[in-house]
Amino acid sequence: MNKELVKFPFHLIVHPFNGYWDLKYDRGTKFNLMVSYAVLLLLAVTNILSAQYSGFLVNLYNPNEMNSLLEVVYVVVPVLFWCVANWSLTTLMDGEGKFVEIFTSTCYALIPLVVVNFPWIWLSNVISLQETSFYYFSNAVAVLWFLFLLFVGNMTVHQFSAGKTLGIMALTVVAMGFMAFIGLLFFSLVQQIIAFISVIYQELVMRS
Amino acid sequence: MIKSMFKGRTLLLLAICCLLGTSLGAPAAYADGEGASYNYSFWGNTVTSPAAYQATDLYNGSDLGAGAFKEPNDLHVAADNRIYVLDSGNNRIVILDERFKLDRVIDSFVRDGQPDTFANPQGLFVTDKNEVIVADTGNHRVVHLNSDFEWVKTIEAPESELLPANFQFQPVRVVMDKAQRTYVMATGVFDGFMEFNAEGAFTSFIGANRVYIDPVEYFWKQISTQAQRSQMVMFTPTEFTNLDIDGEGFLYATNGDQWGDNIKKLNAQGNDILRRTGYFSPQGDIRYSVDTGPSRLIDIDVGDSEIYSVLDSKRGRIFTYNGDGHFMYVFGGLGNLLGEFKTPTAIERIGDDFIVLDKALGEITVFRTTAYGRTLNEAVRSYYRGDEQKAYELYSETVNMNANLEFAYAGIGKALLRQGDYEEAMKHFKRSMDQGNYSKAFLLHRKEVLRQYFGGIMTVIVAAAAIWLGTMAYLKSARRKRGVSY
Repeated sequence: MNKELVKFPFHLIVHPFNGYWDLKYDRGTKFNLMVSYAVLLLLAVTNILSAQYSGFLVNLYNPNEMNSLLEVVYVVVPVLFWCVANWSLTTLMDGEGKFVEIFTSTCYALIPLVVVNFPWIWLSNVISLQETSFYYFSNAVAVLWFLFLLFVGNMTVHQFSAGKTLGIMALTVVAMGFMAFIGLLFFSLVQQIIAFISVIYQELVMRS
Repeated sequence: MIKSMFKGRTLLLLAICCLLGTSLGAPAAYADGEGASYNYSFWGNTVTSPAAYQATDLYNGSDLGAGAFKEPNDLHVAADNRIYVLDSGNNRIVILDERFKLDRVIDSFVRDGQPDTFANPQGLFVTDKNEVIVADTGNHRVVHLNSDFEWVKTIEAPESELLPANFQFQPVRVVMDKAQRTYVMATGVFDGFMEFNAEGAFTSFIGANRVYIDPVEYFWKQISTQAQRSQMVMFTPTEFTNLDIDGEGFLYATNGDQWGDNIKKLNAQGNDILRRTGYFSPQGDIRYSVDTGPSRLIDIDVGDSEIYSVLDSKRGRIFTYNGDGHFMYVFGGLGNLLGEFKTPTAIERIGDDFIVLDKALGEITVFRTTAYGRTLNEAVRSYYRGDEQKAYELYSETVNMNANLEFAYAGIGKALLRQGDYEEAMKHFKRSMDQGNYSKAFLLHRKEVLRQYFGGIMTVIVAAAAIWLGTMAYLKSARRKRGVSY
């Protein structure tokens, strides 16, 4: 079991079709969730370390604006947004995936971002300006790999055709935009309501 | 009892002193003895910096014994450090020596046996041979006088098919290069500077500004009729606001652009060849409030070693940049104190010092370098000359006075790189956010390190390979002995 925790994610990223099938039908939810949380954590750690320790030639960063907590937020919030948006759409469009499956498949897809980028944190310290193209190339590969895994994961989890999956993914991005908008609207309205109530409270207190 | 009370009081007094001291000490430490200025960091933040220049003297026309200036528009310092002030309102040129003593006043000249005068002249230039060129705006001509102030030639309104029929020649600023070509900035001319040859004949326009097209305006123009369109504002390039010429014959010009490059260095073809390799392209202030807007540059002065300064009329500040486009220092401002102006209109260098002409007040302010300014100027000069050892020393001194001056670290780094201290060079390039040079130093450093440890690294690799092979062979033979096979 313990060995599988490490072995299976690596198996999945190189054999995505089999891997995601296993994920959906053969692996326990608890196992998948453990791996997922670990991946999210590792990705956050990778991003934080990368912001701080990547080589000077690929990483101009202002130490005054470095915020580890925000790095964590930048990982967790988009993933949650994606999962919620994807789930909301696919339940209406005959997707077979449960929320937990969507979440785990998304997290598994993030593995290349950790596996590729983590060694580059250290490698980027020993490259010259001309060699940084390798760095950017690897980054691009990691992102493409991630997108491919996301696509295969979504397709397998929902049992969609390839075309429908692409459509759903595009719609999910749109839905994420809507969610962000509604979230901001909600916050601003709540703020106004709180301000209103506090003004009324003050008014009452001052009068008596 | 009394003694203890006394002791208590001293303690209290001491505490108060300490508290006051800390509260008073903080801004003092921040301001520095020489008065504070600012610079911009790589990240675009304003950082404090010691003042590079300080106002020392203020002269007006009466002090100089020439009578009050009336709306002086331009001034120029000749090669022999004599100061030529163009007193436009009084239609005369006032010449001062380098110690600000009145030398002479030119209010007329003789042309073909006839006395002639200026009418509201706006621009003035003095060549290396002390020849004087005056943009005689009111008379629609440019007057060229030799060093004894005798008339040489006049450039009248040119006739050319490039110009419209109703063209009115109103020269406002003028320079002359070593080949006696005259470049004239005229009002209402949007095609750049007017270039005249040594005989005073119009040859061409040079260095027109780009037209900025507002997308919104453009949209409305597209959907409106011809009649409506003719009522709208035309898209015209911005006019230049001033120009200067350096020792190599390149024109430095400022324009009133709100967007794009408001400082230009024009070569003979009129192409902009200003190097903008600093953290920001030279443009005056990069941080400003929305309602006041960006700097409006109205004068430029080129010194030696490609150092140039521009004057911002909006905030009365003088910004100085080096040839690479790094922002060196700023001084001046609008106000009533010494070193502040009401309507600054022209700047000039006199040696290492600056003089600034205030149009409304008719005053000349003299700025002299502080120790910091002198060191920085010298450092930039040594660096420009290629004297890296000297530049290293001076930049180190500068950095000791102002740790916020990021580009100085690159100067130190380059000298260290030349000396072979790659690791230190890398540190300095990193501080000045100079990736290109950092990479250069790093490559050399990496080569050095690899060469140093090559023996060790190879030994470890070979040993590891040998051990691995040996173990594999041993395991194989052991398995074979036990009769286990895959």
